[in-house]
Amino acid sequence: MSFKDVLIPFKAWGNFFKEPVTLKNPMREAAPRYRGFHKNNVNECIGCGTCESICENEAIVMIPVDSVETKNGDSGLRPMVDYGRCCWCGLCVDVCTTNSLSLSNEYTWVAEDPEEMKYIPGVDKKPWDENEKGWKKPEGNFSYYPLERPHMQELHPEDRDHSFIEIVKGYSDEEALLEADRCVECGICTATCPAHMGIPEYIKAIRNKDVEEGLRIMYETNPLPEICGRICTHKCETVCSLGHRGEPISIRWLKRYIADQVPTSKYAEVLRQDSVEQNGKKVAIVGAGPAGLSAAYYLRQLGYSVTIFEKLIAAGGMMRYGIPEYRLPYDQIDKDVDYILAQGVDIKYNTEIGKDIAFEKLEQDFNAVYVATGLHSGRSTRVPGSDHAMVFQAIDLLRKITLGEPIEVAEKVVVIGGGNVAMDITRSMARLQKIKYGKVNVIATALESEDKMPADREEIVEAREENAVINPGWGPREIVVENNTVKGLKVVRCLSVFDETGRFNPSFDEADTNFFEADMVVESIGQGADLGFIPASYMEKLEKDPRGRIKVDPHTYQSSLEWLFMGGDIIEGPDVIHGVANGHKAAKGIDLLLNK
Amino acid sequence: MNTLIDRLAKLFSISDVVHQRPNLAFVTTPMENTIHLITHLRDRESFSLFVMLSCVDWIEDNQFQLTYVLNNPTEKIDVGIRCFINRDSATMESAHYLWKQVATYQRELKEMYGIDFPGSPRVDESFILEGWDNIPPMRRDFDTKKYSEETFFPRERPQSNDPAQYMKSKLYPDE
Amino acid sequence: MSFLNLKADRSKYPQRDADGKMQIDLDSHKFVKLWQGPNHPGVTGNMSVELTLAGDEIVEAKTHVGYLHRGFEKLIERRLFIQGMQTSIRMCVAEPDSNEYVYCTAIEELSNVEIPEMAKWIRTLILEMARLQSLVRVVPGQAGTFGLGLGVQWGVYMRELILDRFEELTGGRVYHMFMTPGGVRGLLPDGFKTRMEENLKEIESFAHRIDDLIFNNVVFKKRAVDTAVIDPSWIDNYGITGFVARSAGFNRDVRKSFPYLIYDQLDFEPKVMEYSDIYNRAKVRWFDILTTVDLIRQIMRKMPEKGDFKAQTPNVLHWTAPKGETYVRSESSRGEYGMYVVTDGTNKPRRVNLRGVSYTHAICVLEDLLVGVNIADVAAVMVSLQTCPPEIER
Repeated sequence: MSFKDVLIPFKAWGNFFKEPVTLKNPMREAAPRYRGFHKNNVNECIGCGTCESICENEAIVMIPVDSVETKNGDSGLRPMVDYGRCCWCGLCVDVCTTNSLSLSNEYTWVAEDPEEMKYIPGVDKKPWDENEKGWKKPEGNFSYYPLERPHMQELHPEDRDHSFIEIVKGYSDEEALLEADRCVECGICTATCPAHMGIPEYIKAIRNKDVEEGLRIMYETNPLPEICGRICTHKCETVCSLGHRGEPISIRWLKRYIADQVPTSKYAEVLRQDSVEQNGKKVAIVGAGPAGLSAAYYLRQLGYSVTIFEKLIAAGGMMRYGIPEYRLPYDQIDKDVDYILAQGVDIKYNTEIGKDIAFEKLEQDFNAVYVATGLHSGRSTRVPGSDHAMVFQAIDLLRKITLGEPIEVAEKVVVIGGGNVAMDITRSMARLQKIKYGKVNVIATALESEDKMPADREEIVEAREENAVINPGWGPREIVVENNTVKGLKVVRCLSVFDETGRFNPSFDEADTNFFEADMVVESIGQGADLGFIPASYMEKLEKDPRGRIKVDPHTYQSSLEWLFMGGDIIEGPDVIHGVANGHKAAKGIDLLLNK
Repeated sequence: MNTLIDRLAKLFSISDVVHQRPNLAFVTTPMENTIHLITHLRDRESFSLFVMLSCVDWIEDNQFQLTYVLNNPTEKIDVGIRCFINRDSATMESAHYLWKQVATYQRELKEMYGIDFPGSPRVDESFILEGWDNIPPMRRDFDTKKYSEETFFPRERPQSNDPAQYMKSKLYPDE
Repeated sequence: MSFLNLKADRSKYPQRDADGKMQIDLDSHKFVKLWQGPNHPGVTGNMSVELTLAGDEIVEAKTHVGYLHRGFEKLIERRLFIQGMQTSIRMCVAEPDSNEYVYCTAIEELSNVEIPEMAKWIRTLILEMARLQSLVRVVPGQAGTFGLGLGVQWGVYMRELILDRFEELTGGRVYHMFMTPGGVRGLLPDGFKTRMEENLKEIESFAHRIDDLIFNNVVFKKRAVDTAVIDPSWIDNYGITGFVARSAGFNRDVRKSFPYLIYDQLDFEPKVMEYSDIYNRAKVRWFDILTTVDLIRQIMRKMPEKGDFKAQTPNVLHWTAPKGETYVRSESSRGEYGMYVVTDGTNKPRRVNLRGVSYTHAICVLEDLLVGVNIADVAAVMVSLQTCPPEIER
C-alpha cells in the first residue's frame, strides 16, 4: 500500500468529460434475430398443432378461425399464443412444419389486463405483422425431425424386368422405426384418407414396437392392410404436414410393414374377433372386390350372415385381375382375403348374377343386397382400325395374365393411355417380351404431356428402367392396317387435353404427326361399369343423377330401392381405398336399415 | 481407469461397471460397503474431491439409487458409486465426516426424498422447504402439477382442439 | 455496562462445551442475532445468512435458502428432452449458458449424438461470452460491497454490451436458449466479429480502469487484503473449485483438466494465485476477464466460417434415450458446474441433478469463512465467493 493507491483511483474523474451511455426514448430496435412477439402466415399455416405439442409451457392452443376453411390438408385451426405462459424460446418456430410461424423483433407491448396478452398471430392484426425482422427457423437443413425418408430397397431393373416378382422389398424393422419416428402425430392425414384410418395411431404403434396393436388399429377401418400397404393411392401422403418442407411420411409403406410383420396364423389371435353375436339377417354382396370384401368383413363384425357372389374363380376383383403381380403378389391378396373369408363369409365363385342366379332371387332371399361389381369393361378409342383382332383392351389382357390364359405377345407393341392401368400393361408386356424375345419393344403414348400424365410418377420412372418407351403428348388418329395386319399407330401432337372450362376437349396440332410401328396395339384409356345384370324393371326404378349415374346416399350408399346398396368403383374412385371406405359405410348403412 | 476398477474389484464387491467415458465410470456396491469404498477412494486412490451426491427414485423397484461422484484431480478421472437402498425405510450411513459439503447434500436428500442419514449435522433442519406438509417432493409419486393446482390459483387455459378430431367434426361428423 | 465490557472479553465468547459445540445464550446479552437477507442489498440473490454476533464480529453463520425454489429438476423430469433445456437454463440466471451446455451435452452423450465441429466452436464462444458478462459485473461488484458503486455501474454497462452481442447472435439477452440437443440454432450473423472486437477493446480499457479504481485503491486494499482467508487445506475438504481454488494456489480449471468442446485448441493459462483473501479472489477474476477477452478473440479467429451447426437428431417429439447415466461438467465463471443426468429409456429424463458451484461455496464454505469476520464484510465475503442461490435450490 502506498500513497499512489490514494491518488490513482481519482483517474475515474476522467469520465466526467465523456458522453453518457444511457439510451434515450424511443426504445431502440431489437436485433434482427430477436425473439419477440409471434407472427404467422395464416395462408401457409395448416393448423397441424405441432407448435402446441412442442410448447413446454402450454402457451399455445389451437383455435378455430372463421376466415380459414377446414379442408383436406388444413385443419382450419390456428395457434393462439398466451404471453402469460410463453417463454420466447422459439421452439414453436423451429418445429413448424410449414415455416409459417415466426417471431418479430418487437418487444414492447403492455396491457393492463393479462387476458389481453394473448392473440392468434396473423389473424388478430398486430403492428408487427409486417415486420420482416425477428427469429425465423435457422437456415439450411436445420430440422427437429428428419426431412427425408429412409431409402426403400427395391429390385434392380435387370433383376425384375423378366419376371413378375414383387419389386418393393418393404421396410426392415430399423427403417420402419426411423420412418415412424419422423411422424409429428398431427393427424391432418386422417381426414383425407377415404377410410379415415387411424394413421398417427398405427404409426405410433410402430414406434412402440407393437405391430399387433398397429394391426388392430388398421382393421378398425380397413380390412385390406396388406393390399393397401402396397398399392394404395395414398392420398394421405399428399397432405402430410411434413411434405411442406421435406418428404411426406411414407404412410403406405408403414402400413405394409405392420401387416407384413404379423403372420397369417396370428391374425385371429391378434384381432380377437371370434365371438360375434349372430343376428340371423342375411346380406348378399355382388362382387368380391375391395368394396365387397370390406362390406362383408364389417357386416360379419355386426353379426350378419354374408354371401358373396363372384363371377371369377378367386376373390379380389381388380386387385387380383387388374394389378400386376410385381406390384401386388397374389399371396398377399390371399392373406387379406382369406382372413375376411375366415370370419364366416360364404362366397360363391364362378357365379354370375343374371346368368347363374337371377337378380330377383337376391331380393327375395336376402334382407339387403350390396352391389360392388367395379369397372371391368375397357373403353375403346374408336379410331379407324381399333376393331382389328390385334387391338386389345388392357383390362382384358391383365385379367388373362392373372388367370394364366395365353395372350398375344407381339414383338412390337404400342399402348394407348397414360394412367396406372396403361403403365401396368406396358410393364407387363415388357416383361413378357423380355421372356419371349429377350428384348423389349413397347411404347406407351398418352394424350397428356408427361407432367400431366395421371399415372404415378414412380410407375413412369420404373417403366423406363425396364426399357419401355413412354412417349406422351400424342393423340391417336388411326391404327394402320395393311393386308389385314397391324402396322402401327398414327398420332398427332396433342396441345391440351382440357378446355378453359375444365371439360375434356383435347386440341391437336394436325401438322405435327408421328407414327409408332407396332404388330399389336393395346388400348387403356379407361374402364366402364357393366350393370347389365340388373334387369330393366329395376333399373327404371333407380334414381339417377343428371349424368345418368345411379344415385346413392353419400353416407350409407343406399340406392332409391331401400334394400339395394351400391358401392366400389361404380360409385366413386376408382381405387381400392375408396372401395374399402364405402364398403365399410355401406355395412353401417345396411345395419342402420336392418336394425332400426 | 480399468486398472483402478480391477484394484477395487479385488477389495470390494462391485458390480454393473459402466465405462461411460474414458474418464468416467459408474459402479454399484452394496450399501453396507459404500462408505468404506468411498473412504478407500479418498485415502488410498487420491479421489480427494467430492463432486456430488445424488438420488434417483426407482419407484417401480421400490428403491432409491444414491450416486456419489468422486473426482481424482491428479489423474483427472471420475468415479460414480451407486448404491441402492430400500424406499420404505430409506436410511443410509452418513459420510459427513469425509468432506464438509456432504452434510449439505444429505440434508437436502432428507428433505427432498425422505432419506435419513443418522448423525449427519443439521440433517433434520429444513433446507429449502420451510413448513412443508406433504410427502418429500422429489419422490416420483409426488405430483407437482396437481399440488400446484390445489395450492395456488391456476389461470384458466382456453380449450385447445386436436386437429384430427376437429377435422372429423367439420368434414365427416357422421362417419 | 455489560456491552462495553464485551469488547475486552471477546476472546471468551462463545464458550465451547466438551464436544466443541458453541454455547450461545442470546439471553446473556452478549450476542446478537441478525438476518442478512433475503432482501438486502449486500446479499447476492435471494438468500439470507443468519448471523450470530458478538459485538460486530460474527461467531456463527447459517445459510438459509429457499426463497426462490421452483423445483426445476422436478419439472424437467416431466418434460421432453428438447423442452428440458428451456427449463434448465433458469437454474442460474447470471450465467444460464453453462446450464444449456451441460444439459445438452448430457442428453447428447446418453443418446449417442455427435455434434458438428461448427456447433462446438459456437458453443465455446457462447460460454466464454457468458463468462465475460458475468465477470465484468461481479469483479467491480467486489468494490461495490465496500461502498464503491462506480465500478459496478461501469461493469453493468460492459455487461450490456455483451448482452447486445448475445441478442444479435442468439435472439435473447439474458436467457439465450441457443444451444439445443444436437448443436446450436444458427451461425454468427454478418459483422458480428467486428462488433464483438469493438466491445472487447472497450472491455479491455474498462479492465484497466477498474484496476486503477479498485485494485490500486487504498480503501479497497485496507478492507480486502487479509480478510476472510481460505486456507489451502480447505480446498479438497470443502470441495472448492474454480477461481476460489485458483486464488489459493490450486490450478483447477475444468477447461484444462477435462477439456471439452474445443478448449484443447485454444491457448490459455488460467491465473493461479497463492493466497486466497478477498483481494486476491477479486484479482484472480480480474485476470480472468483478460483471459476471457483473449479467448473470445482466439475463438473468433480460429473458428470456421461455415459448416453444419446441428446434427440430425431423432424427431424431438418422440426422442427417447436408452437407459443410462452420466455426469457432465463445465467451468463456469464461479467454478465447476456439472450436471448428473439419468435416463430410463423413455422420452423424458429420469433425473437431472445440477451440481452448482454455490452449493458448497455458499453453504459450508461461507458458514465457516464468516466466523471471525466483521459484520461490515459479510457482503464482501459472499461476493468474493460469487454465490448464486438459484443453483443451490434448483
